[in-house]
Amino acid sequence: MNAPLPIYLDYAATTPIDPRVAEAMIECLREPELQGNPSSMGHEYGRRARARVEQARAQVAAAVNGRPECIVWTSGATESNNLALLGVARFHADRGKHIVSSKTEHKAVLDALKQLESEGFFVTYLKPGADGIVAPEQVSEALRDDTQLVSLMHVNNEIGIIQDVGAIGRICRERGILFHVDAAQSMGKVGIDVQAMCVDLLSLTAHKSYGPKGVGALYVRRNPPVGLRPLIFGGGQELGLRSGTLPTHQIVGMGLACEIAEREREADVARICALRERLWTGISKLGRVELNGHRTQRVCGVLNVSFHGVEGESLKFALTDLAVSSGSACASASDAPSYVLRALGRSDQLAQSSLRFSLGRFTTEAEIDAAIAAVTREVERLRAIAPATSPAK
Amino acid sequence: MTERREYSALVERHFAAPRNVGRFEPAFDVLVARSGRVDQGIEVVLSARIEAERIAALRHLVYGCPHSIAAASWLTERLVGATLDELAQWRWREAATALDVPPEKWGRLLAIEDAVRGLERAWRERASSRARTA
Repeated sequence: MNAPLPIYLDYAATTPIDPRVAEAMIECLREPELQGNPSSMGHEYGRRARARVEQARAQVAAAVNGRPECIVWTSGATESNNLALLGVARFHADRGKHIVSSKTEHKAVLDALKQLESEGFFVTYLKPGADGIVAPEQVSEALRDDTQLVSLMHVNNEIGIIQDVGAIGRICRERGILFHVDAAQSMGKVGIDVQAMCVDLLSLTAHKSYGPKGVGALYVRRNPPVGLRPLIFGGGQELGLRSGTLPTHQIVGMGLACEIAEREREADVARICALRERLWTGISKLGRVELNGHRTQRVCGVLNVSFHGVEGESLKFALTDLAVSSGSACASASDAPSYVLRALGRSDQLAQSSLRFSLGRFTTEAEIDAAIAAVTREVERLRAIAPATSPAK
Repeated sequence: MTERREYSALVERHFAAPRNVGRFEPAFDVLVARSGRVDQGIEVVLSARIEAERIAALRHLVYGCPHSIAAASWLTERLVGATLDELAQWRWREAATALDVPPEKWGRLLAIEDAVRGLERAWRERASSRARTA
């Protein structure tokens, strides 16, 4: 018999697929009329598949207040980030080779920037405050005459804080500098408005908002055009920006997931916020715990907590009842302390003794209460066997 | 957890239910040794009660990874009955083998061996102090 599954509190790593989204995807996989190549406009199969793809494009565009023709399908946020950064930097290399970003970006941004540095670009990595926030003034001060691009994430995947991308976008627009936002964690949690936020490029993914894995999108402002060099060459799909046969079922799933996320955002946020507060209240009763990131400028579903007096690996091993993360799922294969928490000034030891609880649409009050009980039991047990005079105790 | 290290069954058992947790109250027949620091990833306190020139019982307190917790717990059973000479001969590799500790964690076992060396020193000091007062 299979062991019971742990309580899932890792929504920031990926979300389960909403059953409504799954149904729409299954329809695409089941119905012969939807199984044409969306680029085969010469027959009805292709045209029907294309109609679904364009409907999804409109759904995604509406969720970010953009125009459908600005949406480019990709395989996910990693590809979107790579396309935005490498594509813009290489296209505009003659305008300048300076880029501004931050130390707490996702690896999909940091590693793409590292690649650009190896190609001769210069990157300024802003250090956020202890609360994880990058102040707009920091961006202003970092801009140079040869700055061609600023790239910042909207919502941090490890600590859940929300950057003021609107204020930063306006600074960039005034200076004529392109602004890219990694919004992989934003959809359905915080409003996205590419017009009001003066965003030129915006990375999105489906699987963080109850859609399928393996599909994402890059919003690329078209008027005036941004200028982007593609990374993938072939059939010239997506106006030549991203070649490859479009996966109709994945795209339909992403479109519906974004529509639902935006339509139900207010209700989801209110409910999940209450659960997160319940979790924090319960955990903080342990004492000697610290919330990582800004207290209020944060999304509803993420709670990153450092536990004094317990060693990180033991804490994680003890909590077999919970599916939680010690940092980004994309980087947690190593035991190294989170670079995000280190950038916030946490010690190696405390960064390593930190857990990210992330809640979502299907989290229940009973699961939160069970999580509080498990964390309380194991932290108290591990603290009880630690030396009493230990500075961490 | 997102990532999960493999642990031996013996590590899992000692981690889930560490043996002989705590410390003995200070007394002439009680030896205490401490090693490691939290920022080194392990801190351990061993205390041993000596009877008839053998270790009658051990207690431990430990901050560390599952291997460290299991090794300290395992040691408190392993060294019961040891003489001073036997204690002096104990080395960390025995714990590494018994608990199947991976090489990247051997440094933590060295800290536990340091605590054992501390017990040995305390035992020798106790012996020489007793010889002086005799």
